[in-house]
Amino acid sequence: MNLMQAFKMAFKSIASKKMRSFLTMLGIIIGVASVVIMVSVVQGMNKLSLQYLEAQGENKIQVYAYQYYGSSGNISDLLYEYCLGMQDLVLGVTPQVEVWQDITIKYGAKTFNTQNWDDWSKRLTIKLGSDQFGVCNNYTLGGGRELSFLDVEKTNQVCVLGGGAKEILFDFVDPVGETIFINSQPFLVVGWYEATGLEGMSDMDNVVLLPYTFNRTLNNNQDINDYVVKARSATDTTLAIARLKAFLGGFITPGENGYYNVYSNNDWSNQVQEQSLMQSLVLGAIAGISLLVGGIGIMNIMLVTVTERTREIGIRKAIGAERKSIIVQFLIEAAVICGIGGLIGILLGCMGALIAGKFLLQGMILWPSSVITVGAFTFSVVLGVLFGLYPAIKASSLQPVDALRAE
Amino acid sequence: MLIDIQNLYKIYNEGQESEVRALDGVSLQIDRGEFVAIVGASGSGKSTMMNVLGCLDVPTRGRYNLNGTDVTSLKDKDLARIRNREIGFIFQGYNLLQDLNALDNVILPLIYRGTSIFEREELAMAALARVGMDGRAHHRPSQMSGGQQQRVAIARAIATHPPIIMADEPTGALDSKTGRHVLSILQQLYREGTTILLITHDDGIAATAPRVVRLSDGKIISDAHQEVDWL
Ligand SMILES: Nc1ncnc2c1ncn2[C@@H]1O[C@H](COP(=O)(O)OP(=O)(O)O)[C@@H](O)[C@H]1O
Ligand SMILES: [Mg+2]
Repeated sequence: MNLMQAFKMAFKSIASKKMRSFLTMLGIIIGVASVVIMVSVVQGMNKLSLQYLEAQGENKIQVYAYQYYGSSGNISDLLYEYCLGMQDLVLGVTPQVEVWQDITIKYGAKTFNTQNWDDWSKRLTIKLGSDQFGVCNNYTLGGGRELSFLDVEKTNQVCVLGGGAKEILFDFVDPVGETIFINSQPFLVVGWYEATGLEGMSDMDNVVLLPYTFNRTLNNNQDINDYVVKARSATDTTLAIARLKAFLGGFITPGENGYYNVYSNNDWSNQVQEQSLMQSLVLGAIAGISLLVGGIGIMNIMLVTVTERTREIGIRKAIGAERKSIIVQFLIEAAVICGIGGLIGILLGCMGALIAGKFLLQGMILWPSSVITVGAFTFSVVLGVLFGLYPAIKASSLQPVDALRAE
Repeated sequence: MLIDIQNLYKIYNEGQESEVRALDGVSLQIDRGEFVAIVGASGSGKSTMMNVLGCLDVPTRGRYNLNGTDVTSLKDKDLARIRNREIGFIFQGYNLLQDLNALDNVILPLIYRGTSIFEREELAMAALARVGMDGRAHHRPSQMSGGQQQRVAIARAIATHPPIIMADEPTGALDSKTGRHVLSILQQLYREGTTILLITHDDGIAATAPRVVRLSDGKIISDAHQEVDWL
């Protein structure tokens, strides 16, 4: 019997035992598909975090300092001055405050309230910053200009729009030179930033930036506690953080007369990487378990049919099958079932990953890692083939009469 | 001499408490073209004898020449060839593959023989037609009666036109009318020159065989030729 015939025999056997073939495939499909989906989702999550980080830019230091009421000195102003004084290390410094009271923003017939959370992806926020806000937060100017030093000094009624805010308010019209109304006060749009292009970045994109000197009117003249410092390099970031901590430590004993915190998104990036390592480990475990479950399914169905298959082998030997042709047939049979199952698993896995990306990861297109996919496929197929071959190897060396007697 | 066994033993659990001498020093010669019934009570060693003669099992000791070849020294490949080309088996329990239809069951030995794909189906259909089962070619065993399944099994046994047919209680699971039909097929094959080895515990069936070998406790106790009415 040649190979062609062995193939035909195997296909005939698969087709004639649809239920068994299907159940075997199912184990493999489940194993492979679940591994592919899970790996894709976790990788997608990591990618999203990194994109988010990237959009925020490197070497961004966030400084937060707060003194209890009645403490001497005004840490807010001192801190700002100190930050501006680190000229050797920084590219820019800005106060960064979000206005939390409900503000009405109007343009033409459109009205928005900053505390309207019905559709958070369309919610506008008002932020206060300096002329260096764009540099500090890694924005790219799309048109017009940034806030100017004078705008801040004179508390000019001007604003710069984030890419999202521009689109929400103006669709695709150029907003520069238009006037919007913030709590009925006219503000001239002087510029706008490119959108990050990332979904889930609405807090960066849907922003209306005003000079921070509006803190007095829009924020009840509370002290500004938050600053963003953009350092020149990673080394400068570390240096700047050390200096800022030393500076703030000279005024504030945390818990006694206030709090402060200085951190950079470089730390965060390290965290994301650590976290992604953790996730990979957890994932490996989960992937292992689902492969195992699929594998046990395959084993089960293969072993349950050993008796039946042993009798079948007895019959085949009695009518003239050689040991070799039985093994080849069983090998092809198992390989074909497992291979098809594995391919279906990959297909379903990719589809599942795309769906998961769409609904869980803001429309991100997830491509499964090829290493994991090939690994899961190979594992399932090897397992299936081993257990599929088991009765053939065991029974084909028996005397036909002993195989026929199997119970 | 087609079949020649000398001092053949098949001993299960040799040397143990539970030792069974299924064949206890048997010698037997069968010529080409004979019709031999092997009879005996249940447990007398008939099936063991057929299995050894059909190369489905190996003897514990003794010599077995088939067609002048010492089969005890043959390898799997040659034994498979003998089972495929020289001998057709008919079992009491039919031993059809349940998942294949009648035609595919009958085609199976032709595939192992290496018959060209263009001839297989024709040969298998011819074999089915010989036993009157061509109308059921596409039925599965589970959709057939016992007699029909046995006829398909006979078709499978004769598909490669083997010179020897060995049947182990082929009518054992059938009613007497169907049984007679199966016997008549064997008799027809005999007339065409096939050597028939028919195993039975039924003296009535044994009475239809030109030669009767009687077994008891693994030994041959008689071996006689007789007149039969169908010749
Ligand atoms: N695989 C086996 N292991 C142990 N004893 C066996 C085995 N096969 C058959 N026997 C014994 O050998 C004897 C002959 O069996 P068998 O040839 O099947 O008899 P028959 O076909 O005449 O009824 C019986 O006693 C049976 O129990
Ligand atoms: Mg018997």
